[in-house]
Amino acid sequence: MKFTLSWLNQFISTEGLTSAQLADKLTMLGLEVDSVEELFVELEQITTARIREVNIHPDADKLTICEVDTGTEIVQVVCGAPNVRVGMLTAIARPGVKLPDGTKIKKSKVRGVVSAGMLCSARELGLNDDHDGILNLDDQLATGLPLAGALGLRDTMIEVDLTPNRSDCASVRGIAREVGSFTGSILQPLVADVTPLTGMNLGYEVLIHAPDLCPRYTARKLTNVTIGPSPQWMQQRLTAVGMRPINNIVDITNYVMLESGQPLHAFDFTTLKGGKVIVRRPAVDEMTIITLDNNLRQLDAEMLLICDAERPVAIAGVMGGLDTEIINTTTTILLESACFNPVSIRRTARKLGIPSEASYRFERGVDPNLADSALQRAVDLMVQYAGAQADDNGVDVYPGKKPLLLLPLRIERVCTLLGLNLNQEQVALLLKSIEFSVTTIDDKTLQVEVPSFRIDIEREIDLIEEVARLVGYNEIPTSQPLIRMDYPKRDDLRTLRHEIAKILTTQGFFEAINYSFVAENHLDLCRLPEDDYRRRVTRLLNPLSEEQSIMRSMLLPSMLENVRRNINFQKSDIRLFETGKIFLEQSRDTLPEERLQLCAVISGHRYPEAEPLYYSTQETDFFDIKGAVVSLLQVLGVTGTGNGALFQHNISLVQPYCDPDCAVIIMDNDNMIGALGAVHPETLKGFGIKQQVYFFELDLQQLLSSGRKEKKFKALPKYPSVKRDISLVVPDSIPAGELLRAIHEQNQKYLESADIFDVYRGKPIPSGYKSVALSATYRSPTATLDDQSVDKMHDKIVNSLMADFNARYREGSEE
Amino acid sequence: MEQELNRLQQEAEEDLGQINEIAQLEAFRVKYLGRKGGALTSIMRQLGTVDPHDRPRLGQLANDVKQEVESWFEEKKEQLTATQIRHTDSTTDFSLPGRYLPYGKLHPVTQVMEEICSIFEGLGFAVAEGPDVETDYYNFEALNIPKHHPARDMHDTFYVTDSILLRTHTSPMQARIMEQQDPPLRYIAPGKVYRCDSDITHTPMFHQVEGFLVDRDVSFADLKGVLTSFTHKMFERELALRFRPSFFPFTEPSAEVDIACVICNGSGCRVCKRTGWLEILGSGLIDPEVLKMVGYDPDIYSGFAFGLGVERIAMLKYGIDDIRLYYENDLRFLSQF
Repeated sequence: MKFTLSWLNQFISTEGLTSAQLADKLTMLGLEVDSVEELFVELEQITTARIREVNIHPDADKLTICEVDTGTEIVQVVCGAPNVRVGMLTAIARPGVKLPDGTKIKKSKVRGVVSAGMLCSARELGLNDDHDGILNLDDQLATGLPLAGALGLRDTMIEVDLTPNRSDCASVRGIAREVGSFTGSILQPLVADVTPLTGMNLGYEVLIHAPDLCPRYTARKLTNVTIGPSPQWMQQRLTAVGMRPINNIVDITNYVMLESGQPLHAFDFTTLKGGKVIVRRPAVDEMTIITLDNNLRQLDAEMLLICDAERPVAIAGVMGGLDTEIINTTTTILLESACFNPVSIRRTARKLGIPSEASYRFERGVDPNLADSALQRAVDLMVQYAGAQADDNGVDVYPGKKPLLLLPLRIERVCTLLGLNLNQEQVALLLKSIEFSVTTIDDKTLQVEVPSFRIDIEREIDLIEEVARLVGYNEIPTSQPLIRMDYPKRDDLRTLRHEIAKILTTQGFFEAINYSFVAENHLDLCRLPEDDYRRRVTRLLNPLSEEQSIMRSMLLPSMLENVRRNINFQKSDIRLFETGKIFLEQSRDTLPEERLQLCAVISGHRYPEAEPLYYSTQETDFFDIKGAVVSLLQVLGVTGTGNGALFQHNISLVQPYCDPDCAVIIMDNDNMIGALGAVHPETLKGFGIKQQVYFFELDLQQLLSSGRKEKKFKALPKYPSVKRDISLVVPDSIPAGELLRAIHEQNQKYLESADIFDVYRGKPIPSGYKSVALSATYRSPTATLDDQSVDKMHDKIVNSLMADFNARYREGSEE
Repeated sequence: MEQELNRLQQEAEEDLGQINEIAQLEAFRVKYLGRKGGALTSIMRQLGTVDPHDRPRLGQLANDVKQEVESWFEEKKEQLTATQIRHTDSTTDFSLPGRYLPYGKLHPVTQVMEEICSIFEGLGFAVAEGPDVETDYYNFEALNIPKHHPARDMHDTFYVTDSILLRTHTSPMQARIMEQQDPPLRYIAPGKVYRCDSDITHTPMFHQVEGFLVDRDVSFADLKGVLTSFTHKMFERELALRFRPSFFPFTEPSAEVDIACVICNGSGCRVCKRTGWLEILGSGLIDPEVLKMVGYDPDIYSGFAFGLGVERIAMLKYGIDDIRLYYENDLRFLSQF
């Protein structure tokens, strides 16, 4: 909502307040001021000047050389305007001055003659479109006056960002009312008198067939109208608040709407058929109307129309029809000032996609008691500025008339909810400052009569908010709530997420956050088959783009996009992780399943940037990502339930976006809780990545329910351990991990741990075989083990390995 | 042999005296004490060939010498090691980078969100997270925003169906929690929210922390107190605060909270649009309609609620000037926080 200070002052004085102070007061009252703009500042530098002499330019027929009195000196100006004359008072822009359009005036020579400035036309001054000659000012004005002051143009535009509840402030007078609450000045009425409208003997009638959608309709006929431009001051105010002047009738309807908050509409009376105005829903065969913007609009059964005896002539509160539009030859008009149902108008404006200043106000609610005074105001202006004659009488159909709302207000409730000490008188005084009527019910309760323009006030709490606002929020003290102590509940998934973040960041992973909506082609790039559960996606009806059209059903694709972006910006050593939700559609009518997942990617070099100095330059490989998962699970204490291995290489369960030659799944008993490996070359190619990327993904819900080791103290060993190494040559096809598993399965009492410390293929080991070096550590909790008993245990283990895996000792010659 | 032993002992002592670097010690050890060719080891192997009568005495002597040399060796080794610990090589270039393992960091949005949560957790608030894909009922209706209410214009909503949408705020958790529990309640709900809006100051997804407290006699003054405590903690100084009237359908009275601009300290700059104030959160007393819808009696219980944008606070804290940077996951950005 925009208005100017002079317009506001027409209704209330703001004497003693600067525009900045006024803006601050309004903001603190809940009318947030967005901008304050001094108008016509450019015209402060341009001054009035009188032409003393006019001579023809020797080298140009159409130019004159003028001697101009600027009030302080006489200067020579070359001018091309046809209307220059001696004695004329006009406006001069001297060298160094900027015109409103940004042109800077310079001292120049025009065809050899010096010109010390420019005499300006109205268009050049940004006043109006007149460019037929230079400005011809009132002879009585002095020379040397700043034009802004001389023309009475000095004004300030203020824009308020209105909240949707304050429709009463979508008007200059509404804002003025609020101003009155802090200045105490008197609010001027919109009009002095309102002609009573009886609807009798008019020669036309108004019928409301849909009283649920139209609580009130007033109208008045004006004759002998002369269409022409509206007065300059009105055009200036309209322009200042961003409305384009059109003609006197249209401008007056707009002007009164901005001033009062009541939208108005003018019909060319002669185009209305049958002497009737009917407010109704469309008839079954009425499908369309052409609105005054020359568009064919589709109607539906719930839209409210203004019709004449035969057809729709306007979409109520939204836009008029083309057939009944005011045109230059219009002489008789019917002026409408009505009130329509907010929900109906909102629905219609949305459906047709034509939001307007009128619908903006109707949607938020217009005071039905305003219709007649706003109509009167517009009639008065039309009589004055369009030569119109108004009928003595008019129509006022008011089926929705309601008594004013009476609300009890408990003073104790005001004080408790605001944390303030106020007495009854103070509360009453505050509410009266914005035109609420207040009486006393008893010494604890007030009765408040809510004025009809405050359609947002329906309950006691709404009045309490008014009190808070009028007291000023900053006057309310601060306190701390007294509340029973209680230990807040913890969300396990949230705790797990924190733990994971800590572990992964210490391992060099940066946390990423990606959009929850992604491109659908991610699923194809990840090579998901048609029946993959991750293709059960939740789709947006109104996405911003194809790139953000479905809710993600996996985290990896966005992270691959992150990898590509970083490589493009020359950051090719990448460790990223994200914990986030994936969404799986259940059915069209229910919320999707949301699962919290973790995904991490590694690519590029293993060590940080200083690496060449201390480490050999190494590329990351599968074991880096596996190491990340292992340490994560170790710190979390995840051991898995059941006896199966946590990591399994199971070809049948390889994820389609995973390179089958480098793919492992993470199992908790029979549940797959995650996967890791190298990203499939085709997927990488699809995402435009030319370097190897390793990833892991884990389902956190499943991880949370998987077996986790209880933290329990075990006494530190008192006796030393004994370590035995063994080097075996086994067929290549046997995973080294199987050897470890076999060792553990022997359940040797004193075997403390077993590790792989070397795997070797190549000469002199025969092809098809590899050497695996293992170490076994033995310890007894009750004694120091002697060599003999260790040898016995160790031999047993070694022998069974040799038998089970077709293994043999690695010989000295194979060292 | 006895002579030989004495000579070896003397020679070893002299050799050891010459040694001043750890690297030389190994050669010494091999020469005298080495298992295969060490002089003392070899001489002890010869013990078998001497006269059995002399054997015990010579054996004892050989052992003594060997032990003596060994103890000299250990002493020297300790001495040299200690020297080495005390002094780095005089040629060490201290300007070379340190040797470190890779490190990572949390996303700045997570850092700020967790900071916000921990301040409220410190005040006794519990944390609850709800679904990102929400019903129209919880996102709007339960918060007193019926269909066709103009307040829906404040939320540019992504829809999945007519009645399912991406939550436009984390406020639905108010209704979800109040439906399940009785007062007193103190909760915050952090999470992702969505609005169809994208430019230099808006991303279609961002993060919000919603908080609310419900009990008997909770007042607007309490709301001011809690949010003032929070803001002072969050920005680590006693910033001036300004509460000004606003409108949210689910609070009444409603307030926007401004802080003195952290960039210019209130004197007016580009970031605060020369007002000296920055809007950081929306708040208010929970509207009685919202309480009624979950079955609370608004004459008995009252409460306050607030919501704040995490990205905005991170922007103010770190001086980030383009919100879109948050979701590009550029390591050059992520490594700065």
